[in-house]
Amino acid sequence: MQNQNQDEAEVAASISAIKGEEWGNCSSLEDALDQPSFQEDESAKVPYVGDKEPLSSLAAEYQSGSPILLEKIKILDSQYIAIRRTRGDGNCFFRSFMFSYLEHILESQDRAEVDRIKVNVEKCRKTLQNLGYTDFTFEDFFALFLEQLDDILQGTEESISYDELVNRSRDQSVSDYIVMFFRFVTAGDIRTRADFFEPFITGLSNTTVDQFCKSSVEPMGEESDHIHITALSDALGVAIRVVYLDRSSCDSGGVTVNHHDFVPVGTTNEKDEASAPFITLLYRPGHYDILYPKPSSKVSDNVGK
Amino acid sequence: MQASRARLFKEYKEVQREKVADPDIQLVCDDTNIFKWTALIKGPSETPYEGGVFQLAFAVPEPYPLQPPQVRFLTKIFHPNVHFKTGEICLDILKNAWSPAWTLQSVCRAIIALMAHPEPDSPLNCDSGNLLRSGDVRGFNSMARMYTRLAAMPKKG
Repeated sequence: MQNQNQDEAEVAASISAIKGEEWGNCSSLEDALDQPSFQEDESAKVPYVGDKEPLSSLAAEYQSGSPILLEKIKILDSQYIAIRRTRGDGNCFFRSFMFSYLEHILESQDRAEVDRIKVNVEKCRKTLQNLGYTDFTFEDFFALFLEQLDDILQGTEESISYDELVNRSRDQSVSDYIVMFFRFVTAGDIRTRADFFEPFITGLSNTTVDQFCKSSVEPMGEESDHIHITALSDALGVAIRVVYLDRSSCDSGGVTVNHHDFVPVGTTNEKDEASAPFITLLYRPGHYDILYPKPSSKVSDNVGK
Repeated sequence: MQASRARLFKEYKEVQREKVADPDIQLVCDDTNIFKWTALIKGPSETPYEGGVFQLAFAVPEPYPLQPPQVRFLTKIFHPNVHFKTGEICLDILKNAWSPAWTLQSVCRAIIALMAHPEPDSPLNCDSGNLLRSGDVRGFNSMARMYTRLAAMPKKG
């Protein structure tokens, strides 16, 4: 447990040091862990969704950091071609998921996937209604997400370009609304499967399922962890790969980069096992960014064992 | 801007529909500005606020409903979580626990619940909080009831 804390502190310190260079002198542990002011001041300098960057920019953050981390970044460098950073404002998981998903649809023009997710979105709407949520409290958020899906498919007058997708992801009136849409979907799924999630929630925060949704899922800026990811992935039927960059290592001395695939319940494994999830996120304690796999690399053969 | 306006308009229509359903809350939108609302709420029964009618002022920010409305008591109230001079309310859903799942109407309900269940450990009104924390429920009740009579009840005659 103590190792874990040190680990988080070190990564937090290194993130803080690189994000605000003029704050270089203040990157003591206390400052880095002083979440509220750190988040508000630092996050405002980073766009909601950044540009694609080569993985070397990740290595640059840890120049004088732990050798284990540098070793892991080397491994990542062999498997992933780019990283896209998101703002550390507590919404980074949802924001990363949003951009990664919409970008995938824009590039693949996979109409079957859009039709499929729309069916799930309608289910989520019913879920919230059945739970007693007032329609007008969530319908604007649903509508905006569906609108993005339609706009991303080419061949209509509203079709948008890649640049426009980036712009919208950085525009609060779109970006935050979609994050909020995901928060509603996540809360709806957790509440509907309260029996399933209850032990995890009790273990994590020692609150009731209702309290957890009210205080840690529905409010903007509340950070996500495996509970949120599981719920969102299941509710929308979208698989998510999370790659972990932390200081953990095996006793045998070999350094590997672990990942975990969140595969939605009910997905048939036979077909999907071959292909990795199309959404890959990089997790560093307290933060999620987007990773882009190299086209040819078979990531699943090399890591996670 | 448009989004918040559209949302508030929906809330306005909902309030008209719900008027009968929630007799303890009377929520009114300013005639000329949909971002300004006032509410009259009834003090909950079996509390020192029973029989009083309390006025709340809502200022809705432009990013609503992503950000919470600012709400304060216009009627003087003696309560641990309400600032005695400004009427500011210390309630998590009006700060970091806000979410768009809340509405102006449900915020009123939450404030009524707060009146019935004060949280003296995070007081905005220290005198009031100290009375409760020291176990002087009788002293707290009599102070709160006095201010209810003075400020929240229609004058007789």
